[in-house]
Amino acid sequence: MMFVLMITILSSCKKKEDQTTTYTPTPYAIQIPLRFPSLLNIPKDNPMTQEGIELGRYLFYDGRLSGRTDPDSMMSCSTCHIQSNSFVCGIDHPKFKGGHPFGITGIPTSHYMLPMINLVWNTTGYLWNGAIYPGNPDIQSRNLEDIVRLVMTIPQEMYADTNRVKILFQQLNGYPGLFQKAFGSDVITIKNMGKAIAQFVRTLISANSKFDRFMRGEVQLNSEELDGYVLFMTEQGGDCFHCHGGDGNPLFTTNLCYNNGKDSVFTDPLDHYSVTKNSMDIGAYKAPTLRNLAFTAPYMHDGRFKTIDEVIDFYSSGLVWSPSISPLMHHLRTGGVQLTPIKKAHLKAFLLTLTDSSFVINPAFGRPAKLPD
Amino acid sequence: MNRFFSFVKVASFILLSVVFFSCHKNGTVEEITIKKNGNILFQFTHLNNGNELLFDTMIYRTSTGNQYMINDLQYFISGFQVHRAKDKWIQIVSDKGIHYIDAQDKSTFLWKVTDGIPPGVYDSVSFIFGLDAANNISFRFPDPPERDMFWPEILGGGYHYMKMNLKWKNNSMTDPMPFMFHLGIGQMYNGDSTNTDSIIGYIQNYFTIKSFSPFAIKDNQLTRINLIMNIEKWFDSQNAFNFSDYPMGIMQNQLGMYRACMNGRKAFAMKNEQ
Ligand code: HEC
Ligand code: HEC
Repeated sequence: MMFVLMITILSSCKKKEDQTTTYTPTPYAIQIPLRFPSLLNIPKDNPMTQEGIELGRYLFYDGRLSGRTDPDSMMSCSTCHIQSNSFVCGIDHPKFKGGHPFGITGIPTSHYMLPMINLVWNTTGYLWNGAIYPGNPDIQSRNLEDIVRLVMTIPQEMYADTNRVKILFQQLNGYPGLFQKAFGSDVITIKNMGKAIAQFVRTLISANSKFDRFMRGEVQLNSEELDGYVLFMTEQGGDCFHCHGGDGNPLFTTNLCYNNGKDSVFTDPLDHYSVTKNSMDIGAYKAPTLRNLAFTAPYMHDGRFKTIDEVIDFYSSGLVWSPSISPLMHHLRTGGVQLTPIKKAHLKAFLLTLTDSSFVINPAFGRPAKLPD
Repeated sequence: MNRFFSFVKVASFILLSVVFFSCHKNGTVEEITIKKNGNILFQFTHLNNGNELLFDTMIYRTSTGNQYMINDLQYFISGFQVHRAKDKWIQIVSDKGIHYIDAQDKSTFLWKVTDGIPPGVYDSVSFIFGLDAANNISFRFPDPPERDMFWPEILGGGYHYMKMNLKWKNNSMTDPMPFMFHLGIGQMYNGDSTNTDSIIGYIQNYFTIKSFSPFAIKDNQLTRINLIMNIEKWFDSQNAFNFSDYPMGIMQNQLGMYRACMNGRKAFAMKNEQ
């Protein structure tokens, strides 16, 4: 009896020792592509580490995050955020008809999807309505870490019992050691799960489209693409750059919210107005990045446009007035930017130069060969 | 983030010292000895017809009969100098000498200059509205909010001097319509201004404002200089603006930007308080 006890004491001592010695995470520095912002949205209490990112990648792809183990009811981030579609579910998804996902309960998400591209540079607000932002008085709604908790609990997504999730992962052989390496404790918490996944999401960087290579002087755009580029960048052309960035802002989004003139009546309770309570924000949503549009149909928060052509037609002649329309929609008087069919084709050709195919097959972002068990 | 900021601080310190050195070498510029003393605090105020500028309310009117509201106002001020005796001036280099103001973000209303201006009596202050050619360099601001002021390469590059977004209407209109009162580098077109292939040159539209009113910089004192933008002047000093004259905006209409900038020369006032 005494002997057994001694062994346990000894082994627990040993374990303690291990704990202190094994927590030496390797710092991970984001490589900032040419002309990308230097300002990164990484909270002080969650520095990026190789170990954190590795763990985050496992969790991102692990359907047990929903607290369930039955293959039919498991759900992971990757159930909806699919790499080959630039991390949206895709318009031809077999289950999520038309690209509109629903949660484990069958309740559809409040909006269509947003891709996960270059999110580490978003310093002003996540989600379509910008509800998750640094400095939010609601300290639970400030960053990617908080989105994970949100996703896990709401009925439109995982609707998980977070206690069950913790217990489930604690019992899996592979995970406690990974948490130990990433955070210095093998006790699994939802907080650390959020931190790890957020770290992984921050590595999802796209900066290798044809346009990027053009800006780096490596390739030339063809004449249609160049004409489209000029249209995109000029006030008397398509006038897209004021909200979607461009040569001076390679994210192709300001990450700010605008009402871009789609409607005159607004019924969505989750627009930007719901966040700011400023009546000028009624019907306003974040101008999403235009990178990888080739993969991210359907478009807009409500998925109303199925193709890029439909989007361009809308900006060309479909604008409608409302009191809160953005003052940047200055072609409103003529219903839009009035592009000819040829100009529309050129603008589309330019938008497609923002396609980064290496991003959607980058193995570092993909499903790990084997999940911990 | 904190670590990042301290990095920026260190980096800008190094940069500042470089700037100081180059000032020193340049014979026309007075040598600046860095002191904790004699700091200037610039304070930015936005008025319309003498009252605090209100956003998003249709309460303003131009002499041409346009009603308007202001929705956004963002701009750059740069090249501040304090002057005394003729030919002697001191260029303020804090924050690279460039300050960005968002009239809806109070945190941008104060600019504390840490250069340590030598004490003495100065007779005037001058600054550049926008960015001069040497400073208006594309891609210099990778981070928001300054980044979002970028001016497309094809239209001359660099940054908007000012973005004033507004909505306006006249008596024949029912709904207020957007107008982007945006200023930056202008283009000369040989023909149609919708065709950028016909651009034959670029025009710098920035201008300098100088205010003569003597003030003292004293050791261990903060001199406050209040810079006021009188919004109505942009539309109504030298050139009465009628928004319907510019259905396509003014970014690609040099005459429009020229008229606006002529008005802008009258839009600023400076006051200094001790
Ligand atoms: C049921 C499908 C679904 C699942 C599962 C899901 N998401 Fe999402 N995600 C969405 C939708 C829909 C949106 C857009 C929601 C909105 O803004 O209203 C979104 C938005 C986001 C955004 C905001 C992107 C931006 O640009 O602002 C992030 C980040 C995100 N999800 C991360 C995650 C993570 C991490 C997980 C796993 C823990 C996850 N999501 C699981 C559907 C899903
Ligand atoms: C006033 C700002 C503004 C301007 C100007 C603007 N957009 Fe947008 N754009 C937005 C906003 C806001 C959204 C999202 C709106 C929503 O979901 O309801 C959006 C959405 C889009 C989308 C859908 C992206 C997605 O992932 O769903 C595309 C494509 C797009 N814009 C292209 C353009 C093009 C091309 C132009 C120029 C012709 C342009 N935009 C001009 C603000 C703007």
